[in-house]
Amino acid sequence: MSGAIFPLTFPTDDLRLLTGILIGFGFGFVLERAGFGNARKLAGQFYLNDMTVFKVMFTAILVAMVGLYGLASVGMVDMSMIWINPTFIPAQAVGGFLLGIGFIMSGLCPGTSVVSMVSGRIDGWVTFVGIFLGIALFTLTVDWVPGLHSLYLAGSGEVSLLHEVMGVPALVLALVMVAGAVLAFVGAEKVEAIFQAKRSPVELSPPSRPGIKLAMGGSLALLAVITLTAGSPSPDTTPVPLASMAPLSLAESLIERQAGILILDLRADPEAERGIPGAVAGTDPVAVEALLSGMPEGTTVVVFDESGTITHAPPDWPGSLEYRFLEGGLFGWQEEVLTPLELWGSSLAERERVQRQNQISAFFSGAAVQNSSVAAPPAMMPAGGGGKKPKAGGC
Amino acid sequence: MKAKEYWNPYVAGVILGLVLLAAYLVAGNGLGATALPKRSLALVGSQMAPEWTAQNTVLKSYVADGASPLRNWLVVEVIGVILGGFLGAMSAGRLARKVEKGPNISVRGRLTYAMAGGVTMGFAASLARGCTSGQALSGGAGLGTGSWVFMLMVFAGGYSVAHLVRRQWT
Repeated sequence: MSGAIFPLTFPTDDLRLLTGILIGFGFGFVLERAGFGNARKLAGQFYLNDMTVFKVMFTAILVAMVGLYGLASVGMVDMSMIWINPTFIPAQAVGGFLLGIGFIMSGLCPGTSVVSMVSGRIDGWVTFVGIFLGIALFTLTVDWVPGLHSLYLAGSGEVSLLHEVMGVPALVLALVMVAGAVLAFVGAEKVEAIFQAKRSPVELSPPSRPGIKLAMGGSLALLAVITLTAGSPSPDTTPVPLASMAPLSLAESLIERQAGILILDLRADPEAERGIPGAVAGTDPVAVEALLSGMPEGTTVVVFDESGTITHAPPDWPGSLEYRFLEGGLFGWQEEVLTPLELWGSSLAERERVQRQNQISAFFSGAAVQNSSVAAPPAMMPAGGGGKKPKAGGC
Repeated sequence: MKAKEYWNPYVAGVILGLVLLAAYLVAGNGLGATALPKRSLALVGSQMAPEWTAQNTVLKSYVADGASPLRNWLVVEVIGVILGGFLGAMSAGRLARKVEKGPNISVRGRLTYAMAGGVTMGFAASLARGCTSGQALSGGAGLGTGSWVFMLMVFAGGYSVAHLVRRQWT
């Protein structure tokens, strides 16, 4: 993506590594000041009398999520260069459950054990040494315990993103999560109050002053506005309604060999029945998109299916072209263009039109035409850009 | 000296979120904690048993490029955590050589739990390819599907056995 400035590029690898010290410093400092160097305070999360872990963690996740995907949505972050943990569901589910058990046993998790350790806590030192041994244990056993090896490698191992699984824009999912988190935070405060009556916590985090609540509320409102204007409903998700085209006028323009028309056959099986001469089969959406993006600006694209039910264009078709759907689809074409009209009973004024239509009909159905001023059916449409190789990748 | 009070959890959360965002924007990945022990092990392995290390399912990727396994952003970041945690505790007046535990358990008992929990977590974090920092926090913010599964399971695991080990906290 052009214009993306994140993630930053560094002239040397050493310089990039140096940023790790600074960012890690911030990480360790915030963890300590939040109270995460204290195993008793962390353990409170699991006895519901101190929900600081939940509050800090979810606030942080949502701030970073909105920041990352917000900047990506305006093109400032190249998400293909951002490393997101690949998904190995069985290993992550079992590993997560085991880690939760270890967490409540030692009262610390790996990151907070480092903070606890350097704060001088002996339980932090012991936990950190234990983590080291646990990693060694896994590393030594993974290759000769068959079940462990297959558990470690089970799953796709691909980067699976939650919003893509759900089929919604990332920012919309983030906003829903923020709304859910606000409710959960209110709930967490109430739960804490109930369980603190039973068992007093180690050392309470200070309550939220009105200024903090106001700032949080304000930023949430701002976030909602930004998401609703930027995230949805973008033109990327709504099909574009099309104007119609009568079969006869399509036939006329074909006979006149008008340039700049592309006919797309969107029937599920273009081979099933003889279609419209020169039409391009559009069964593969990717190929269609590539073809369309290679067309010169202003080309009229006429789409048809069996009976004219396709009246909307997919949102990702290029906007530089004009799109029409054929009235009645292939059935309409057969009825209006391929079936000659009877002259009987027509008025004089109508006769000319009927005769013209019968010429058209004869033209396309291949019957002999007596007063033929027109040539054989065009072999290949579109005149405008049929020979041009479609750009790969589209827009 | 009386220790400074902790930060308000929501304020701390916003700042932690900005630190995590900075990691993604500057380095292209999130935060972590287990890279230091994992890669130290790879270093030891590559010195003592290079062939075994090069074939080990976990360690092989750390030694594949021939560079030192410790030459890695996440390792440097953990060194930053050590410095930041230390200065945070010192400036808040919380540096103290002691064991955090409830009144009803011996120091020996508490440290046994800490060791058992540590071993369990080291094993679990290796299996899951990350811990609460690398999977739950960072992968959660990145909307990784597996990371959210991991996070929910951490809470499930913690709550399921919390009652059994309550003796060390109360």
